Amino acid sequence: MWRWVRQQLGFDPPHQSDTRTIYIANRFPQNGLYTPQKFIDNRIISSKYTVWNFVPKNLFEQFRRVANFYFLIIFLVQLMIDTPTSPITSGLPLFFVITVTAIKQGYEDWLRHNSDNEVNGAPVYVVRSGGLVKTRSKNIRVGDIVRIAKDEIFPADLVLLSSDRLDGSCHVTTASLDGETNLKTHVAVPETAVLQTVASLDTLVAVIECQQPEADLYRFMGRMIITQQMEEIVRPLGPESLLLRGARLKNTKEIFGVAIYTGMETKMALNYKSKSQKRSAVEKSMNTFLIIYLIILISEAIISTILKYTWQAEEKWDEPWYNQKTEHQRNSSKILRFISDFLAFLVLYNFIIPISLYVTVEMQKFLGSFFIGWDLDLYHEESDQKAQVNTSDLNEELGQVEYVFTDKTGTLTENEMQFRECSINGIKYQEINGRLVSEGPTPDSSDGNLSYLNSLSHLNNLSHLTTSSSFRTSPENETELIKEHDLFFKAVSLCHTVQISNVQTDGIGDGPWQSNLAPSQLEYYASSPDEKALVEAAARIGIVFIGNSEETMEVKTLGKLERYKLLHILEFDSDRRRMSVIVQAPSGEKFLFAKGAESSILPNCVGGEIEKTRIHVDEFALKGLRTLCMAYKQLTSKEYEEIDRRLFEARTALQQREEKLADVFQFIEKNLILLGATAVEDRLQDRVRETIEGLRMAGIKVWVLTGDKHETAVSVSLSCGHFHRTMNILELINQKSDSQCAEQLRQLARRIKEDHVIQHGLVVDGTSLSLALREHEKLFMEVCRNCSAVLCCRMAPLQKAKVIRLIKISPEKPITLAVGDGANDVSMIQEAHVGIGIMGKEGRQAARNSDYAIARFKFLSKLLFVHGHFYYIRIATLVQYFFYKNVCFITPQFLYQFYCLFSQQTLYDSVYLTLYNICFTSLPILIYSLLEQHIDPHVLQSKPTLYRDISKNRQLSIKTFLYWTILGFSHAFIFFFGSYFLIGKDISLLGNGQLLKPNHQMMFGNWTFGTLVFTVMVITVTVKMALETHFWTWINHLVTWGSIIFYFVFSLFYGGILWPFLGSQNMYFVFIQLLSSGSAWFAIILMVVTCLLLDIVKKVFERQLHPTNTEKAQMEEDKGSVSSAYEFAESKHRGEDSRHLLAEACSQQDSSCVH
Amino acid sequence: MKKASQICQSKLPDNTALKQQQLPAYRLQLSATGVLSGFFATGAFCLGVGIILILSAKSIKEIEIKYTKICANCAELREDAINFDKECTCSIPFYLSETMQGNVYLYYKLYGFYQNLYRYILSRSNSQLVGTDLKDVGNCAPFSKSHNGTPIAPCGAIANSIFNDTIILSYNLNSSIHMEVPMLRSGITWWTDKYVKFRNPTAINLSSAFTGTAKPPFWSKSVYELDLEDTENNGFLNDDFIVWMRTAAFPTFKKLYRRLNRVQYFIEGLPAGNYSFNITYNFPVTRFKGEKSVVLSTLTWSGGSSLFLGLAYTVTGAVTWLAAFSMMAIHLMLKEKRTLFIER
Repeated sequence: MWRWVRQQLGFDPPHQSDTRTIYIANRFPQNGLYTPQKFIDNRIISSKYTVWNFVPKNLFEQFRRVANFYFLIIFLVQLMIDTPTSPITSGLPLFFVITVTAIKQGYEDWLRHNSDNEVNGAPVYVVRSGGLVKTRSKNIRVGDIVRIAKDEIFPADLVLLSSDRLDGSCHVTTASLDGETNLKTHVAVPETAVLQTVASLDTLVAVIECQQPEADLYRFMGRMIITQQMEEIVRPLGPESLLLRGARLKNTKEIFGVAIYTGMETKMALNYKSKSQKRSAVEKSMNTFLIIYLIILISEAIISTILKYTWQAEEKWDEPWYNQKTEHQRNSSKILRFISDFLAFLVLYNFIIPISLYVTVEMQKFLGSFFIGWDLDLYHEESDQKAQVNTSDLNEELGQVEYVFTDKTGTLTENEMQFRECSINGIKYQEINGRLVSEGPTPDSSDGNLSYLNSLSHLNNLSHLTTSSSFRTSPENETELIKEHDLFFKAVSLCHTVQISNVQTDGIGDGPWQSNLAPSQLEYYASSPDEKALVEAAARIGIVFIGNSEETMEVKTLGKLERYKLLHILEFDSDRRRMSVIVQAPSGEKFLFAKGAESSILPNCVGGEIEKTRIHVDEFALKGLRTLCMAYKQLTSKEYEEIDRRLFEARTALQQREEKLADVFQFIEKNLILLGATAVEDRLQDRVRETIEGLRMAGIKVWVLTGDKHETAVSVSLSCGHFHRTMNILELINQKSDSQCAEQLRQLARRIKEDHVIQHGLVVDGTSLSLALREHEKLFMEVCRNCSAVLCCRMAPLQKAKVIRLIKISPEKPITLAVGDGANDVSMIQEAHVGIGIMGKEGRQAARNSDYAIARFKFLSKLLFVHGHFYYIRIATLVQYFFYKNVCFITPQFLYQFYCLFSQQTLYDSVYLTLYNICFTSLPILIYSLLEQHIDPHVLQSKPTLYRDISKNRQLSIKTFLYWTILGFSHAFIFFFGSYFLIGKDISLLGNGQLLKPNHQMMFGNWTFGTLVFTVMVITVTVKMALETHFWTWINHLVTWGSIIFYFVFSLFYGGILWPFLGSQNMYFVFIQLLSSGSAWFAIILMVVTCLLLDIVKKVFERQLHPTNTEKAQMEEDKGSVSSAYEFAESKHRGEDSRHLLAEACSQQDSSCVH
Repeated sequence: MKKASQICQSKLPDNTALKQQQLPAYRLQLSATGVLSGFFATGAFCLGVGIILILSAKSIKEIEIKYTKICANCAELREDAINFDKECTCSIPFYLSETMQGNVYLYYKLYGFYQNLYRYILSRSNSQLVGTDLKDVGNCAPFSKSHNGTPIAPCGAIANSIFNDTIILSYNLNSSIHMEVPMLRSGITWWTDKYVKFRNPTAINLSSAFTGTAKPPFWSKSVYELDLEDTENNGFLNDDFIVWMRTAAFPTFKKLYRRLNRVQYFIEGLPAGNYSFNITYNFPVTRFKGEKSVVLSTLTWSGGSSLFLGLAYTVTGAVTWLAAFSMMAIHLMLKEKRTLFIER
């Protein structure tokens, strides 16, 4: 029974067998010896609510929030016991808050529903009853045979049955799943691969048995039992025959597949992680403040209750003759009365907890986050991308960042690999306009000028020579050179795993790796951009890789087609850091070509210009180029046979296959002859140096985390300004053992201590890092904290996340931000407080999992320094102001209890109690928190140091919080005692009725007094907001003065009519009478002035004596008085310009734009 | 061109002032000159208003006489509720040294009487007072119904505890001629109270209108007997009753009782001379250690007697100027420092 309940609630998965059995095309066996398994349909549900459960579920979720729950409790208390305020006073604001939040969440869910519907309603073709039927994606059932055409996305997890190719293979990209952009080949079982038509598929009788759905993208186990001519054939199924939902069919006209996992059970859906709830530092301090206020509230209620009972100990106050108790009161028990009194006080003072704080904060974040997307400065023209906000909860966290962790490739750099240079046989060449030009000191010319001429002559030389044959530098050793170059580029164009796609009109923006540089219609797809760049470079030079089919690779050398038989591929792995291929040339000779990092190739070389190449490689690395070395060796047939045999043995070994393979690879890849080295440039993005410089000036520590190798990483770091030439660069690399690592760390710490004047930079590599993190976390952190720049190279994705977690939990608890563009950065993006995705070339995985996505690294500076700063100031003031205005609101109520024997008489009318937070004072602060710009954004961007002023959550420190609270209390005292002394104490003061007719004397009662206090309060609180506002747009004017006017108009209206549905007519004409008294006006003016003078004096003194940098900048700005109108006009111009450009670009490629 | 940009659905954000956060705006900066001039102006304003208010308050004449102790025998009598039907009068002679010019108002003032208790304020029936439903006494506990079950009109604790002393001011022109100072009983309430919020039930005459109701337990006469001379001032429309029903905000309060009818001798106000208050002492205050007093006062355009408003303005003005001067001093000092620094 218990188990059943738990199952229903979803704690336990329902009992299932370990495998699922799928009858293809749902042809169940006739004999009925099967138990039908139930599978869910192919609906993807990312929405949270349905029409039916929206109200209860949303309410439940909202009341899980402490503040809402608190107000619900107050509301219930008001309903249950006899309290001084009506339940409406807290019920209505609560209703308002809940409704606004519900509308917002409903709207967001509606958007999700829409996108779900779009996905679920996408048309698909399913084979049913012998024909193709067009249906909607959500109608696919497990067992359906689905037809997918080229470039379509798979609607469910399918097992490939057949494709338009004879061998039953197809290519897919899984960029949207794991960010890998290369083409992957999937194959069908031979028995089904021949079934290429709908009719033939109809004859297929087969059953698939496979495991239950699991999230691992790369694991799949199953078998297919095919019944053919009364006999059963069993074929194993692996990941290579599974097509995942979300992947895209490439390069293949159409395929048929059978759905095995559908809807929420697909691997994509299982991998869909609900966004971890990140909470900002502001929200945390907000909660702290709430608790403090709760304590204030409870202690006020306790004080009041105790005082009430001390007072009542005297009989004359307990029950004076004019206020006798009712029977009911006399009879109720004392303890019960005590409790109900306490609750009544709690209800009376409950408005000190700002009810609309959460909803205002939520609206502010929701609406405010639009500004990021709207910002033209964050718009990237080339890629037509604007900034994207995935979570609005973290806007203000952008202003609090202390550590930035950035990926290198694709984030700091463009991730556009460009072949730049190579070193062939000890001679350096540069690629200029698709031709190789030798560079550097050649034997005959050491003068720079001469060498330039020399290279020019080369150019001329080559331009007519290349048409006939390969490169020559001098006629004498022509043949040899040809051979060297030829071999080098053959190696480049053969030793790779690049896939080819020869399509002419592929949709633009579809495949990740198209390049307009590729000649003719060839498109290369590669898992590594370097490989692609190399193959493309070879093609430009004249050795074009045309394609690989079955076991041959076709290479067109200067128009002549050559077929190489591909014998073996020794795959790349990160331990060996090289790969090689064994091919048979058309002539019959067998070659081994190897490509890899210089550290893994050079030691294995026995021939070639090893030393010169080594120097060149170092030179390349210093320029920030990514280098690879190429080598080859010719194999005799005897050698090959042995290799072949040993490889076969290792590959088929049942035990320790990996180790054996590694041994064999090591055996094969030695005694190589070095061909040369390639250098590929990954261009730095625009303004990276300035951005990093800005971040550093803002007091943010920048860490670069990269998978690249040490030298490249350092050189890129230097070129992008992460490391300075003046910086003392410390290294913690190649640490083999724990103790060695510790020793090195201690040494580094000592060095930092010795010269603390110089800035330090630290370079760590992945292995050393894992050692350092394992045992010497503290020491490592100590070193890191003293370094202004840290570079981690050779990092695995999980290591990146681990580093961030380590910083996050260090004693200072700094706010971290991670920037990355690839799927390998997702873990760190999710780990950091703020995750920024770069919408780059490596798919959109990072952007989708990030909190904010931007197109370029340089936008980070505007995002942090301007948006982050603004959001932080806005929300910090918002939070403080909310607490302030509620202290102002409720403290007079508390003080009044001292004058009414703690009888719980309210000071304000209940309509005022209700509307204070939701009408009279809500809009100015909301508009402020959306529009405020305390400094000009240009100043903020040009002076990153201003960012330091708001670091460490300074605006919400306990000190500022206390200031605001004390300010609130003192204002409340002025409101109350001011009114008391000026008006209340001597009622005749209010005396004279109309100002112009001094012969009328009117008596004012308690409601008039309360209204006076309330009026002063509304004006003061609104004007206080006005004083905080630096940026006065017409909207600010409208809401600020509008709020005060609204209060007056409303009060006149409310007091002007006897409302039939209100029981008490307390407020009838009270407000009008109050305003008709001259002395009331004088009192109101005096109190408002006094309240604000105090605040202004404090502000001015602080500004004059200890101005912060921000305030200094404000003052300077004031002197400079740049007309913002002018700037606006200018920027408008700029915007139009870019619009023109875009329009032009569009008209040029009209065809591609019209969808 | 335009067409092309329409076709091409670019993600380029709109370049509007709002979206680019570039709304034309005035930047409010608390600059030294601005703040200083603001302070000086505010200070001048406050000082000016303060002096004017003080001067005008000076012209106000006020006399307050506490009569709980003076009428000690009556107070003692009222200690015990049993003596409610015994009449007790008390005369308080006093000398007015200066003429009270203009309108003169007569107040009674209570000390330590809490009209602002939560239950007390609730204990009234608006629908009864507006004359629509005499039987509606739901909120009036514990004074909603009399012992025999008839609803009380006016019901509730407020009405029940009405101030019921009678104060008559007489002017002793000389030792032989004592004349009652003519006082107006009406025109002392809010117009809206008298003509909208309070209505007598409609009937041929008042006493029949209130049939089926009982008088409040502490009252000696029924509500329709409050003012037998003036029908407009009787029943719920009685001015004293309406004034009492507007509950005071604090335990010490004064309420308007009468205003001077400026006829005969009193056209100019109250002339200087000997007067006496003849008080019928009914309202018990010693039971809650309270006090009663009677107040005579004139008014000016700015209100009542207290100097406090004027003083507060003056002090605020002075403090503002003080702050402004000290700010100016600091500002100048800093400026000097800065120029020195630059010169170096």
